Amino acid sequence: MLVASFALLGVLFAFTGFVTQRYHATQRALAQRWYIRGEADLQSGQPEKAIEDLETALVYVPGNNVYRLRLAEALEAAQRLDEAQAYLLSLWSDEPSNGEVNLDLGRLAARAGSIPEALRYYHNAIYGIWSDNPEQASRNARLELCQALFARKDTRDAEAELIALAGDLPEDADLHVRVGNMFLAASDFDRALRQFQRALALSPRLEAALFGAGQACFELARYEAARPYLERALRWNRGNTQAARLLETTSLILEIDPFSGRLSAEERSSRVVRAYEQAMDRLESCAQSRGDQLETTSPQTPLEKAYAQALELRPKMRESILRRDPDLTTAALDAVVEAEKVSAVACGAPTGLDHAILLAAQRHGGGEPD
Amino acid sequence: MEGNLTESAKSGFESRALWIRVRHWLRLSPEPFSLREENLFLLLAVIIGLFSGLLVVCFRIAIDWTRIRLLGSALIPTPARVLTMPVLGGLVVAVLVMRFFPRVRGSGVNQTKAAVYIYDGVIPFSTVVGKFITCALAIGSGHSLGPEDPSLQIGAGVASALGRRLRLSRDKLRLIAPVGAAAGLAAAFNAPISAVLFVIEEVIGRWSAGVLGAIVLSAISSVVVVRGFLGGELLFRIPVFRLVHAWELIAYAVLGIVGAIGSLAFIKIIDRVRPRLQEMPRWTFYVQPAAAGLLIGVIGLRLPQVMGAGYEVIDQAMHDRYVWQMLAVLAAFKIVATSLSFASGTPGGMFAPTLFIGAMVGGAVGGVEHHFLPGLTGSVGAYALVGMGTLFAGFLRVPMTSVFMVLEVSGNYSIIVPVMVSNTIAYLISLRFQPTSLFDLLSRQDGTDLPSMEEQREESLLRVEDAMHEPTEPLLHSEETVADALSRVQSSAPDAIFLVSFRDGEWSAITKAELERQASYDKGDAFLRDIVNGRLPRLHPDQPLYVALRKMGEYPLLPVVHRANFQRLEGVLSLQDILGAYRAAFKASGRDSDAVLLPAELSPKSDEIGGEAPRGL
Repeated sequence: MLVASFALLGVLFAFTGFVTQRYHATQRALAQRWYIRGEADLQSGQPEKAIEDLETALVYVPGNNVYRLRLAEALEAAQRLDEAQAYLLSLWSDEPSNGEVNLDLGRLAARAGSIPEALRYYHNAIYGIWSDNPEQASRNARLELCQALFARKDTRDAEAELIALAGDLPEDADLHVRVGNMFLAASDFDRALRQFQRALALSPRLEAALFGAGQACFELARYEAARPYLERALRWNRGNTQAARLLETTSLILEIDPFSGRLSAEERSSRVVRAYEQAMDRLESCAQSRGDQLETTSPQTPLEKAYAQALELRPKMRESILRRDPDLTTAALDAVVEAEKVSAVACGAPTGLDHAILLAAQRHGGGEPD
Repeated sequence: MEGNLTESAKSGFESRALWIRVRHWLRLSPEPFSLREENLFLLLAVIIGLFSGLLVVCFRIAIDWTRIRLLGSALIPTPARVLTMPVLGGLVVAVLVMRFFPRVRGSGVNQTKAAVYIYDGVIPFSTVVGKFITCALAIGSGHSLGPEDPSLQIGAGVASALGRRLRLSRDKLRLIAPVGAAAGLAAAFNAPISAVLFVIEEVIGRWSAGVLGAIVLSAISSVVVVRGFLGGELLFRIPVFRLVHAWELIAYAVLGIVGAIGSLAFIKIIDRVRPRLQEMPRWTFYVQPAAAGLLIGVIGLRLPQVMGAGYEVIDQAMHDRYVWQMLAVLAAFKIVATSLSFASGTPGGMFAPTLFIGAMVGGAVGGVEHHFLPGLTGSVGAYALVGMGTLFAGFLRVPMTSVFMVLEVSGNYSIIVPVMVSNTIAYLISLRFQPTSLFDLLSRQDGTDLPSMEEQREESLLRVEDAMHEPTEPLLHSEETVADALSRVQSSAPDAIFLVSFRDGEWSAITKAELERQASYDKGDAFLRDIVNGRLPRLHPDQPLYVALRKMGEYPLLPVVHRANFQRLEGVLSLQDILGAYRAAFKASGRDSDAVLLPAELSPKSDEIGGEAPRGL
């Protein structure tokens, strides 16, 4: 009887094996069908339908992490963040070093404003395991982390990430421009300029790189260097109004700056007088717009004091006098900067030549914001 | 040439000699592969496990296949299918049950118990076939039932069939059904520990070395088969869990209370609805499953999640798929749907629905608690997981299994403390407000009186200390002389019996008449050690009284001694003392005398699994 039992067992094993094989094949086919449908729904912006399809796919192949991940992404797309997180956490417990899972968890944490957690997951993603093109995936994860940090105005951490990223960038002009722009956003203009220059070395006519380099030079007060970049950027794209405005300011600075190198004494004096007149006009128009009287015997307000100080210099504001007395040039420029600063406080940010005067003064150590 | 012939002949001769030796070896004994019954039993346990595993694999595939054919492959079936398929499925199932497989109605657990305690381990193989077909059809068509209980009975049925074929003794045949039940349940849950515990807790009622090994072997074999064919995936994908603050256990305690309320509601509904449907005319049995199917279909139009076993919905609930309001609604309607399906006589199990309801209740409680206490660290999914165990403890009333089941299906040990807290509370509340457990209730509704494992567990055990009395006669010592002893017992009655203690902690006894007789033979100077014959069995105060009864034999009294000092007499015990203690307990409890007066071990047909004697049917 035992022998018969074993024989029956063998038959049942064979039968079950056959049935199971068919069963698994059917399950896989059904899962694949629903997965493809889910992907299509996700692509066509119907995350709710995609969720249903992907959940159905998972009924047939419950352990498929690709399906689970896609379901989590569909949930995320449908703004069902708690569900997405639950799925991702369960995936993460299975594969803690999966780059894609960590990246999704990092995104969710960043959206929830949990920066330490987001940093942890993003770093896991950066150093995690990726099935396709791991270098690029890791780089993209770091770029995304930087963007998330910028969105949270955490420029210090973002800059640290960017520095790490910049050290290992491939020869890709667009990528350099992207990183350069991020350095600009982090106010790290030197590194930004280096990225734009690397981009220009690869693609000299790349307008975004030209504009970025111009911006970086401008922020570094290297106006002479900024002008050609901006001019070339405008040459490739005349519609770039930002570049046009920046170029205009740059030109004004270069025209009004009395301490520019290789200026003749006449030209320097002429620029001082011009700046002085501009500052006085700005003070007067500012006072007029506020209904204040500047000519008073006992100046009280900052506007009045600045006007009184500048007015004292008026008799000496001639090119011939300025040429003879270099100290007077300095005193005149101090009065100009003071007048512009006071006007800016009282009447709003300066524009045009007034702005150029302040930037030129800042360039040489004057006119720093109080 | 001659040489060649000789070589050839030699070679042939050697081959034949080898063959004869093999045949001789094979025929050394009249039955070359005969095994002792104990060993055969263990081997059989493995075979049963393999058979059960294979059948459960086919059963699960049959359910899935039926579901896809009847309800479609989509997670949410179309309304037309939702409305029609449970009705059609119910009609076909009813005809099959009424015409061909009348034994497949009801709980597989109780039917297995009935096989053990009533039918000498016999489960007709037609029941296995019937369970397989009707349950696959019922569950696949959307009835709110689960595959675990039928799997358990399929396992038990296969075991019974094999046992009968192998002509096992009646004792072993009775034991074989639980072995198969464990295999079937282990395969269905993919959880061998829970299956073994369940069978011990609910079917055989006690740990017994004779059967434990076989149960474990069969459970493991079946799980190996299932994992081999269907993969080793856990039943659910479990969310990450970590108990951060101890005070969060209060939140799980609340879940225990709510889970108990849900369990009680579920039991009460079945308690009320099932007998009423059973009392209806016989012809209605043909339409009851279809009517239940129609109602389930109506519910399914809005809540398709309640249809079928619902494992995928449990999985979704554990991943925060639903808000707590939806979870609460699903729990309530699953109770209704399952009660309808089960009470209408549709074959199928209650395990999966219990897990479903538990997960929903757990998730809902977790959701509400998170709403009011956002600082809770346990996810809603973790509450759903704990909730499954809670309902298991409160509804099925298997506290040990409920804890291990959660551990086993989750593979997460850190969840144990919340599970234990919640399950214990649910179990105790359920026990308090529903004295009769679900399985006992169903058994009584079906007109059988199967032994209640829960009542046995909860039984207050009478011990030796409850019956013993202080010694009334002087104690004698083995180093005393007969004359000395006689002088000390002069005032005792003529028929008095005296205990004699020995230096090595042994005890004996002697009557006054015997002392006097020895003295008359001029043995007054003889030591008692040389006079008394034999030794008495010793008892200890904490031993169960039935052990004392077993040891009592023909002895008029036995010494009760300290466990660490055998010479220290704590009391003496006589047969009258034992009977008096049982009588007092009977009067105090006012319950069925069987349970109190005679423990299971001492019932007329005692066997290894401690069952009551077959009676009634």
